[in-house]
Amino acid sequence: MNETLHPALLPLGLRDLLPPSAGVEAEAVGRLMAVLASHGYDRVKPPLVEFEENLLTGAGAAMATATFRMMDPISQRMIGVRADMTPQVARIATTRLLKSPRPLRLSYAGQALRVKGSQIRSERQVGQVGAELIGSDEPSADVEVVALAAEALGSLGIAGLSVDLTLPTLVPALCAAFGIVGEEADAVRAALDHKDAAAVAASGGAAAEVLGKLLSAAGPAKPALAALAQLDLPPEAAAERESLETVVRQLEAAMPDLAVTIDPIENRGFEYHTGISFTLFAKGVRGELGRGGRYRAGSGKGEPATGFTLYTDTVVRALPPQEPAKRVYIPVASDDTVAKKLRTQGWVTVAGLAPVTDAENEARRLQCSHVLSGGTAKPV
Amino acid sequence: MQRNETLVLALPKGRILGEVVPMIRRAGIEIEPEFDNEDSRQLRFKTNHPGVDVIRVRNFDVATFVAFGAAHMGVAGNDVLMEFDYPEIYAPLDLGIGRCRIAVAAPQEDANREDPSRWSRLTVATKYPGITKRHFAARGVQAECIKLNGAMELAPTLGLSRRIVDLVQTGSTLKANGLVEIEHIADITSRFIVNRVALKTRPTEIGGWIERLREAADAA
Repeated sequence: MNETLHPALLPLGLRDLLPPSAGVEAEAVGRLMAVLASHGYDRVKPPLVEFEENLLTGAGAAMATATFRMMDPISQRMIGVRADMTPQVARIATTRLLKSPRPLRLSYAGQALRVKGSQIRSERQVGQVGAELIGSDEPSADVEVVALAAEALGSLGIAGLSVDLTLPTLVPALCAAFGIVGEEADAVRAALDHKDAAAVAASGGAAAEVLGKLLSAAGPAKPALAALAQLDLPPEAAAERESLETVVRQLEAAMPDLAVTIDPIENRGFEYHTGISFTLFAKGVRGELGRGGRYRAGSGKGEPATGFTLYTDTVVRALPPQEPAKRVYIPVASDDTVAKKLRTQGWVTVAGLAPVTDAENEARRLQCSHVLSGGTAKPV
Repeated sequence: MQRNETLVLALPKGRILGEVVPMIRRAGIEIEPEFDNEDSRQLRFKTNHPGVDVIRVRNFDVATFVAFGAAHMGVAGNDVLMEFDYPEIYAPLDLGIGRCRIAVAAPQEDANREDPSRWSRLTVATKYPGITKRHFAARGVQAECIKLNGAMELAPTLGLSRRIVDLVQTGSTLKANGLVEIEHIADITSRFIVNRVALKTRPTEIGGWIERLREAADAA
């Protein structure tokens, strides 16, 4: 069994990005980061690999099963390759930047690695662009991050954007109030995750009625809020509902064109979130563009924080079709200043290295749209 | 990357289709006549709603099409949903049709003689390796699954496996092959399923269809 490995074969879930995709992705990341920077989110750059202990504490614990680990031969401790950058940024905020004034706004872009992909997305290396707002529990902070994520995606021309708001703490609060624990709570959770109304009714016990109403409340923001307002919730859950109302109201004022839906029971992937959370979708695009929400930054009780992460591979899939750049072939020994001038005007110039008999043909062979001839770019 | 706005409804071929179509019709969807032609090579069908098309695929594939968002809605048994456990599928509605159960079966004499609490591993012939592995893992047994696509009942008598996990409707096939049902895993019915992203990004439309199907199912 010594099969020769094909030189192009990569391990599952990893890939080469080729032209033009690699360029498109890099440009999209640059534009997203520019929007974040313009709102005062300063960039940080954590390392690829960290001590496992630090990487997987607090909000990072959710990524424990997704993290590649190895032993660091120098410190003889376990180290992990980041599977998500948010815990790293939270660590930076609560350690090295502990003395920086709050609210602290940080942004980041980089690659993360996961031991396996999901059933519908096999990618194991995922590009992330994100922003974290640390040190404020005001609803205006929630509004800011949702609006910022939407603005950043909007700046790329992504159409049909919608944001789904959720309260991951609502169901646990209800279960606790109705005394649903252990396996019973797991069964309720599984039924809610699949939006299986029949199973919710069967496993919900005393909470079945209110959970059923929560289930059917999901949908566009206005009717969903109205339905939520009808519910008789325990005090803790009622407080959550109130802050959700505030956030939706402020968000609608800030971004009237953004489609907002509410799903009060969405929980998957939000296990470590502690308040209003959200997922970003675009119509017709498979998968999520990004997600975010409230968590506690740092170990122990931590600081209130919220933020979001965008997944660059999905973001790129959602981009409108790109206009290919104008490319002009510059035959060897052409006037250098002309090429320079064309570049300043936004052209891409491709220099000939040796004389050719048919410059137009050569331009086409090198996938140029134009050729420099007589001092101007002529279409080929 | 704006795709066509037509909603795609995936329906399963075979056993359940006869019960599904009348329910779909009660919900106000009339599929073009070619759909009823068993010999037709057509796979995608128009309906009386210009914004809704129907595709007819294998029951396992209904879940796959919906999970990946290639179809927005579908009808699938919860055996298929349990097997894949796709997080991208919501199953908001139990249609109450296609009733059966998924169960473990074995030859009568084996069932009498063996003590399963001593097992560490077991070979099982099944179409449902995911469900089978989870079921046995929950009590500390590794199930080594042999994937078969039919005629599961032959496996124990021919020495392929000691147990089978399969759908049971009346139990007559088991009986005819000298097997007995020894453990009930779950009750199965068909569910109306929707793709998660489709529900989030088109809540009014998809929510509307869920309501119409709910009324159709309640009326049945």
